[in-house]
Amino acid sequence: MKATHWFATALFALVLAASHAAHAALIAPDVKLAPVQTLTRQLPAEIESLDPAHIESWAANTVGLDLFEGLTRIDASGAVVPGVAQSWTRISPDTWRFTLRPDASWSDGVRVTADDFVYAWRRVLDPQTGSKYTVLAEFVKNAKAVVAGKAKPAALGVRALDPLTLEVRTETPAAFFPELAAMSSMAPVPRHIVERARDGWTKRRPLVGNGAYVLDDWQPNNRLVLSKNERYWNAHAVALAKVTYVPIEDDGTALRMYEAGQFDYTYRIPSGLYPRVSKQFGPELRAGMQIATYYYSLDNRDPAFKDKRVRQALSMALDRDLLTKRLLQAGEAPLYGLIANGTKSASPFVPDWVSWPMERRIAYARALLRDAGYSDAKPLAFTLTYNTNDLHKKVALFAASEWRTKLGVQAKLENVEFKVLLQARHEGKVQASRDGWFVDYNDAMSYFDVLRCGSIQNDQRYCNPKVDALVEQANLLLEPDRRAALLTQAHALAMQDYPMIPLFQYSADRLVKSYVGGYSATNYVDQRASQDLYVIAH
Amino acid sequence: MLAYTLRRTLWALPTMLGVITVCYLMLHATPGGPFDSEKQLSAAALANLDAKYHFTEPLWRQYLLYLGALLRGDLGASYRYVDWSVNELVAKALPVSLGIGGASIPIALVLGIALGVAAAVRRDRPIDRFVMLLGNTGNVVPPFVLGPVLVWVFAIVLKTQEGQGWLPAGGWGDGAWTHRVLPITLLVVINVSTIARVMRASMIEVLSSNFIRTARAKGLPPRIVVWRHALRPALMPVVSLLGAISISSITSAVVTESVFALPGLGQLVVNGAINRDYTLVLGIVVLTTVAAVLFNLLVDLAYALLDPRIRY
Repeated sequence: MKATHWFATALFALVLAASHAAHAALIAPDVKLAPVQTLTRQLPAEIESLDPAHIESWAANTVGLDLFEGLTRIDASGAVVPGVAQSWTRISPDTWRFTLRPDASWSDGVRVTADDFVYAWRRVLDPQTGSKYTVLAEFVKNAKAVVAGKAKPAALGVRALDPLTLEVRTETPAAFFPELAAMSSMAPVPRHIVERARDGWTKRRPLVGNGAYVLDDWQPNNRLVLSKNERYWNAHAVALAKVTYVPIEDDGTALRMYEAGQFDYTYRIPSGLYPRVSKQFGPELRAGMQIATYYYSLDNRDPAFKDKRVRQALSMALDRDLLTKRLLQAGEAPLYGLIANGTKSASPFVPDWVSWPMERRIAYARALLRDAGYSDAKPLAFTLTYNTNDLHKKVALFAASEWRTKLGVQAKLENVEFKVLLQARHEGKVQASRDGWFVDYNDAMSYFDVLRCGSIQNDQRYCNPKVDALVEQANLLLEPDRRAALLTQAHALAMQDYPMIPLFQYSADRLVKSYVGGYSATNYVDQRASQDLYVIAH
Repeated sequence: MLAYTLRRTLWALPTMLGVITVCYLMLHATPGGPFDSEKQLSAAALANLDAKYHFTEPLWRQYLLYLGALLRGDLGASYRYVDWSVNELVAKALPVSLGIGGASIPIALVLGIALGVAAAVRRDRPIDRFVMLLGNTGNVVPPFVLGPVLVWVFAIVLKTQEGQGWLPAGGWGDGAWTHRVLPITLLVVINVSTIARVMRASMIEVLSSNFIRTARAKGLPPRIVVWRHALRPALMPVVSLLGAISISSITSAVVTESVFALPGLGQLVVNGAINRDYTLVLGIVVLTTVAAVLFNLLVDLAYALLDPRIRY
């Protein structure tokens, strides 16, 4: 009875949330718009694809969000709002029903139907497609069997009840499904175009999509030019008429291009230049956080890190306040647990010792090392591997210095190329290494991939069955607060095992011209669609 | 000369095969693969990709498949940029690299020869010292320092009334001349220093030879002696250099294109190497090898034009 009550409450809340009218750019009445609504945005790299089945990077996802719209979308503030689906209900713990808006159409005028989603999701998972980014669609029932070629794509747990109703069954209860339905890889594709042109369909100009923009031109490593899609169901609320994305990998070059007036919106501030840039550009530097964690991965099976006391001692000795405020100085927040601030469905972990004076922390950490069998005569020694990058080098030098001066630990630093690190880490060939996690969707579940026993993302080879059991139990709950309490508990339990050394939460600092409106600092997943932005008269 | 050209072309084939084979093996021996990422792919997704790109086949068979496609003019599919074939990516990047390299070489050549001749003729005078200074500066100041300095001056310090830089700080846009000025200037500075130094040394040597002394003894004006009699033989080392410079304008594009964020072959090969996009890197290697063979052949043929004693 109680479960039914909670379920009804949750259902009501979801329907209520979903029934809010969707808005694109929210422009205050007193804001005067510029007559020319064009914007040039930096991308941190050339995008790998514009086909939702092959989109995997942040850069491609950002452009993808402009060109294709999923069932839901993330608005300027970071909230999940209706996209092609005007409402949705969770009709059972593992079943969702989405009602599509009747006025959603492809840019060539063909109507977007539930079948387009069924087709797109089956296509992402079809082994023939060879998609790299199947993790989101794998939440759908039977998806893993389809990817592995053990089931036909038709066996996927998604079906069109009618052209405007889509029913999705998930493998396990997934309260966050509307969050991940907003991502580009979950967007529909125009079946009538794809089936005709096969893999070459993204080369058509204008590219047929259902987003707020259509692609006019794409020159690899040079630029992507998008113009407003007049057939978008919410086109009247879209302000920007033209958006140009320019892929620039080097942050220094991007900064110079911003200074030269070539960008309205950059992606990243070069490492170490934050104070200068902040002073030079003032309010144009829009500070913010993103749900992403910088941490050191420790191989829990390695003889050096088998003992929890060693892992804890190493974590306790690092002064994250000093690291973030004095060394990095780019608005990063200290972290002591894997889950970052702003994550839905779990609270960050803060151990008791954070409030202790540093001397007490060091004494405690030294005692832990002593108990684990290490001393000045027999110091702990290991190799910390990081990939070539200014930021990673700074952090590694800092950590090695802290460990050496405070604990007498000898950390040998090893600098390798990015892909070399990835392979070595995945194969368990490094002891301690630079690692990071950027969430795919805003829910604590995105983080538990790193902690679950046997997960491919768990480079620590950490395993605590109690943590897994709590996570499983939490996902069966329909009441959000109770679920969050259990996930917080599971996270705390894992962090008390010190499987890794969380260091800080990444900031999302962008240089954005003062005349660009619609930029919100609360968009922690850092998905900022162009339809939410506008140019103020200047 | 036709027989020589044909013979050289035929000899180029095993050279190219050797280069491709060595690069192919080196790329595959490099740690890390095209599908390694911070978030690891599921085993099933990885297996699908391996099957799609024939990674499940033995390496020798993959190599033969690649060579077979190459013979048909197909450079393969990019593992990273899945919407494009390597042929398409190279076709889009090549005009940018050629546009920059192709414009910089003639300018560097004219300037380098003129400065080299002037320095040789007015040896130990201010112009000579200037050329030597320029030569040393161009050699010691790396492009990744000189490039940003040029940008700082012409794109950031010097601005139009609208607040835009005089010239773009980077990017290619629609390929307008404004986007080309700074990269071409950088390449010219790099190349002109080398050409001027070689030209100066060669001209000094030629000017001290017997036939120049004879020309002077005949009472020919110095201008005629230098430009009509000394220049042609003095050009030989520069011509030799030209092949290397032409190839290096493609390879040095790696730095130039990074500094100015140009969508040319340099950017492409760097991204290809970082992403372990084997076919993309190999495609550019094939192109560069063909260019090297071609430039060297042209240089050899140019010798015959400059020196009547050379016959093929």
